[in-house]
Order: sequence, then structure tokens, then C-alpha cells
Amino acid sequence: MMASQTRSGSEQGLGAADGAESVRRPGATVAAKLRDLRVSGFGAFLPVIIALLVIWTWFGLTEPAFLSARNIYFLFMQSAVVGTLAVGVTIVLLIGDIDLSIAAVAGVGAAIMGVLVTNLGVPAPIGIVAALTAGIVLGFCQGLLVAYVGIPSFVVTLAGLLGFQGLMLRILGEHGALNMRDPMIRAITTVTLPAWLGWALAAIMLAGIAALMFRIDAERHRRGLERADRTTLLGTLAFFVALVVASVATLNTYRGVPLVVILLLTVTGLLWWITTSTPFGRHLFAVGGNTESARRVGISVRKVRVAAFAVVGLMAALGGVIGASRYASVSFNAFAGGPLLLEAIGAAVIGGTSLFGGRGSVWNAILGALVIGSLGNGLDLSGASAADKLMVSGAILLLAVAFDAVTRAGTNAGRR
Amino acid sequence: MVETNSVRAAETPPVAPYLCVESVHKSFGGVHALQGIDLEVRRGEVMALVGDNGAGKSTLMKIIAGVHPLDSGRILLDGTEVSISTPHEATNLGIQTVFQDLALCENLDVAANLFLGHEPVSNSWTRWIPYPLRPLRGLDMEEQAQQAVARLNVRTLNSVRGKVGQLSGGQRQAIAIARAIRTKSTVILLDEPTAALGVAQTAQVLDMVRRLREDGHALIYITHNLRDVFDISDRITVMRHGKRVGVWRTKDTTPDEIVAAITSGIDAGSNDDG
Repeated sequence: MMASQTRSGSEQGLGAADGAESVRRPGATVAAKLRDLRVSGFGAFLPVIIALLVIWTWFGLTEPAFLSARNIYFLFMQSAVVGTLAVGVTIVLLIGDIDLSIAAVAGVGAAIMGVLVTNLGVPAPIGIVAALTAGIVLGFCQGLLVAYVGIPSFVVTLAGLLGFQGLMLRILGEHGALNMRDPMIRAITTVTLPAWLGWALAAIMLAGIAALMFRIDAERHRRGLERADRTTLLGTLAFFVALVVASVATLNTYRGVPLVVILLLTVTGLLWWITTSTPFGRHLFAVGGNTESARRVGISVRKVRVAAFAVVGLMAALGGVIGASRYASVSFNAFAGGPLLLEAIGAAVIGGTSLFGGRGSVWNAILGALVIGSLGNGLDLSGASAADKLMVSGAILLLAVAFDAVTRAGTNAGRR
Repeated sequence: MVETNSVRAAETPPVAPYLCVESVHKSFGGVHALQGIDLEVRRGEVMALVGDNGAGKSTLMKIIAGVHPLDSGRILLDGTEVSISTPHEATNLGIQTVFQDLALCENLDVAANLFLGHEPVSNSWTRWIPYPLRPLRGLDMEEQAQQAVARLNVRTLNSVRGKVGQLSGGQRQAIAIARAIRTKSTVILLDEPTAALGVAQTAQVLDMVRRLREDGHALIYITHNLRDVFDISDRITVMRHGKRVGVWRTKDTTPDEIVAAITSGIDAGSNDDG
């Protein structure tokens, strides 16, 4: 009896192998393809890309100035600070925590850099390094309180939000603002690449993406692993080519590709690689998905959390540096006291990163920042009042969180 | 109780026990959870561990898995006394545990779950990078995951890249078992592996357990379900109030006898001397 069961078992095993083959079968239904797409990493981008397209189409039709090269340029510049902070906060959202102190940490970093460079005449690179180090230290300390003392991250970083706002004011002194005229720091957001360099970088980036995609596909083929079908592969590549070529072409008709955009894409690319292709990144997702399971399989949950908060601190301080460069000043209202915090968290969530942990991507945060930036920019152009802007932003955020909650219920139906 | 196995010698070769738990005591505060418990299992054997709620089954399992340290007594592995004070030590000794709640991450795919906490990384040009930031060997993981899944004949599992959250209960159970046998393991502890499963899925898991037995694993199978016990086990250890009531050869006993032992601690029928 046992032998017969064994045999029937191995026949079913063969059946399962056939099932895996069907992924490449040309006759696969549209529904199955859609499902594959949704499960694949690319599908997570769809909602936010659709949102972005809708917003751009709407304002493109109603406000002709919206899609002008000049406006697109300013849109990218306006979104850079929010984008940097949103990418950072994505890291703690992945582990199911939150960081409410990012804008305040950005303010402290900018204030430290401002005092050092403007008041004390320290060279700009040292000022930048000091700001980034301060960000890491503040994030690290909050992480220790969350992971080792066991205080909920909401409370720790709420205290951080208040405390660091005070710290920023103390560092800035009685005027509460500083000018930032250092040419090197200003260069971060004023330099644009010459047209040829923009195209060259775009070509290198696209060639790199293509080479990587086809190399992985060839390796999958060699090992007999399942592969994405040709259409998906080429479609993804075509999407990247269209996006990059359109962006560079548009920006080149105005001033060229801004340096800060290259900087932000590089940092985000690095964080994307860390979150998806290293043990640390894998553990971020594991802790966010099921903390107890992560602990049982031997992951040091505490260290992962502290590291995540330190990374957020670093990204927040980087946002502070970029902000100081862009505004040519460091002021309380531009960072800690303004809407930066909520815009950054909103951008990450609108991008599709779950507030419940375990799901999301740093690229989504960039797209989310563009959605927030486009809304603000478009509503400004159409002469909307501050009241309308706030209400529309609130509605979009609510929509994104509702979408998050609904999809979460869908994918984890079997969760105990 | 000493019985000559002359009749059954052909069916159950007189193999020495591989894992032996001897007079282990464990207290939690004032609760004496284990009061000198003995347990043994041979390779190529399924030892069912049954008992009512609070009999100490899970405590015993956690001691063998290294989750709790024992107060007194000893654990022998292949005749040698071993010390198991952390889950890591248990893993290194080849003892793997499939917990009742499976300890899977629903948001990760099958391959990622199989290697969670022990991810293989590329070591060639990356020695200067600390381990957590080295590149994962994703395709290696996927390849090995596919082999593990094929070995267990997980039915209808299309892809090791599917998220665990989208799998059925039986498939999840299979993944948890696959993770337990991914590393070189000799002893596998299964805590209520079929408690949350339907009929077909239960059959699937029991198939898997049989396969592991054929591979020469020593299996300890904790369950409340007597049908499973009689379906799968070679011997049955009955626990009651932190003590062993007795050991039965499954073939030579009946569910009634086991139920009597579980509920009243009667060991009159105990028919196995180990």
C-alpha cells in the first residue's frame, strides 16, 4: 500500500512540473497573464503609474503649461526633497514601523550643515558629512529605543519629531533661519548636465538594465528555471526606454537633466538593490511580514530594526542637505514645521508601500513623490486655493491607504 | 514487560534508538511540566507522541528543539549525550522542528521562505562586504527550492516564486517541512502538522512523512488526531501529567487502548519495551 502511494505521489509530482511549464505556454489566458503581472514585481507599480498618468493627462489638458519642459523641470526639483525622505521612510514601513521624525531629522541635519558652513566657514564636504552622520546617529538612537527598550516606533519618533524640532531651533539660534550661499552646496540642485552627458548617462543606464535582464534570463534558461515570457521582458524594457528617453528629451529642451535627479536615482537604485538582493533586505521584508517567524528562523529582529532606523536617519539628513541647497537657506518652516513629513509618508504610501509592513519598494516612493508633487504643482497652476490642495491631497492619500488595506485582505486571506 | 520480538523481528529490525530523552524534568515557576519523561525514536521510524492538553508534549518538543533548556535529565543522540540550549545548536545537531504555526512569512515567496535566516550569498568578489549586504544567490535558492519541492511532491504548486500567502494550508505545511529537511537533518519534530488541514491535504502531509521515514529520518509526530496516529506511526508514546504512560507498537494496539491510556493513564496494555 505504501509503495502504491509513493508512486501516485511521484506522478502528481510530475503533474506539478507540468504546471510550472504552463507559465511559458503561449495559450495562457489573459486573466492568468494579469495575475502573473500582479504577482510579479512590476505589477506593484501599476496603480501608482496609472494615478500619475491620470493626473498628468488631466492637468495636461486643463493647464497647457503643466506639460511644458520648464514645468516638468520644476516638478522634478520640487519632488526631490519629498522623494528622498519618502525613499527613506519606505525602509521602516517595510518592517511595519513608522518614522514621524524624518522631517525634523532633515531639519537638524540641514541646521548642522548650515551652522558649520555658513557661520563657521567649514568646507562644504565636511558640513555635508557632518549632517549625514548626525542623521545616522539620530536614527540609530531611535532604533535602539524601538528595538531594545520596546517602545512603539510611533511614540519614539513622535517624541523625536518634537525633540528634534527643538534641537533644530536651538542649533539655528534666535533668528530661526540661515542663508546657504556656499557654491558647492548650491550646486547640488542648480547644476544641470549638458545635453550630451544626459543622453550618455541614459544610454549607459538603459544598456545596463537590458544587459542585466537578458543575462538573468539566459541564466534562468541554462538552469531550467521558469522565465518571464518574451512579451513581458521586452515590454518592461520598452517601458524603461520610453520613460528615460521621454524624460531626458523633455529636460534637455529646458536646462538639461538636473544633477539632483541623478543623485536621487543613484541612491534609490542602491537602496533598491539592498532591499531586494541582500540578506539584510530580505530580513526587512521578513520582519515586516511576520516578526515572530523571523525570530524563530534565527533573524536578529532587533538589529534589523536598528539598522532600518539608521538608514532612515541617513536618508532624512540627505533630504535636509538637498533641501538646504534648493531653498538656499535653512529655516524651521521649510523642514520641521512644514508639510514635509506628511508629504513624504504620503508619497511612500501612495506609491504602494504598505503601512502594515512587508510590502513595498523604494521606487514606488519616488513615483508617489511625483504624484504628490504633480498634484501640488498642477493645482497651483490652476489657481486652486490652499484649502482645495489640502483636501485633494487628503483624498488621494485616503484612496491609497484604502487600496493598500483592500489588497492586503486579498493576498492574506488565509492568514491566521 | 520484556518481550521477545522473535515474531516481529523481520518487520522491525532491532535498531538502537537514535534520539533518547532520559528522565527529563522541567518546571515553569511552580508548574512541574515534565516529571522525568523518557522518549526515544529510531531512524526510519515515526514515533507518535500523544496525550491530553497540558500533558507536556509541546514542552518536551521545545526542549528537544532548543527553545527551552531542561532542568535535569539528559538527551542522547546516537548514543552520545548532547547539550541543546539554543535552536541553533539543535539545527547543528541535525534536529529540525516544524512548529504548529509553521513560522513562515506570507509576504515572501517559497524560495525565500525555505532559506529564511540562512540565505546563501555570493562570496567570490564580495569578501570585503559584511554578510548582511552581500548579494544573495537568488537563482541558486530558486533551483534548490524547486528540487526540494519536487522531492516532497508538493501537488499543484506551480512556482517557487509564488508568495506563501497565496498557498493553501497543505502547501504551507509542505513548505515548512521542506525547510526543516533543507539542511542535513536526521531528527524531525512535527507539532500538529495536520491540525488545520482538510482531508486531502492531511493525506498529502502524511505522504510526506512516509517519504521522510523511507529516507531514514527519525520522526517525532505530535498530534491529537488518533486516526493520523494509526495511519502513520510505528510506535506510540502516551504522555500524561508530564510523565510517560507507556509505549505501544501501533500494529499491536487499538485506538480504544490508546484513548484509555491518554485519559486514565492505564498502561496495562503497553506492549513495547523499546
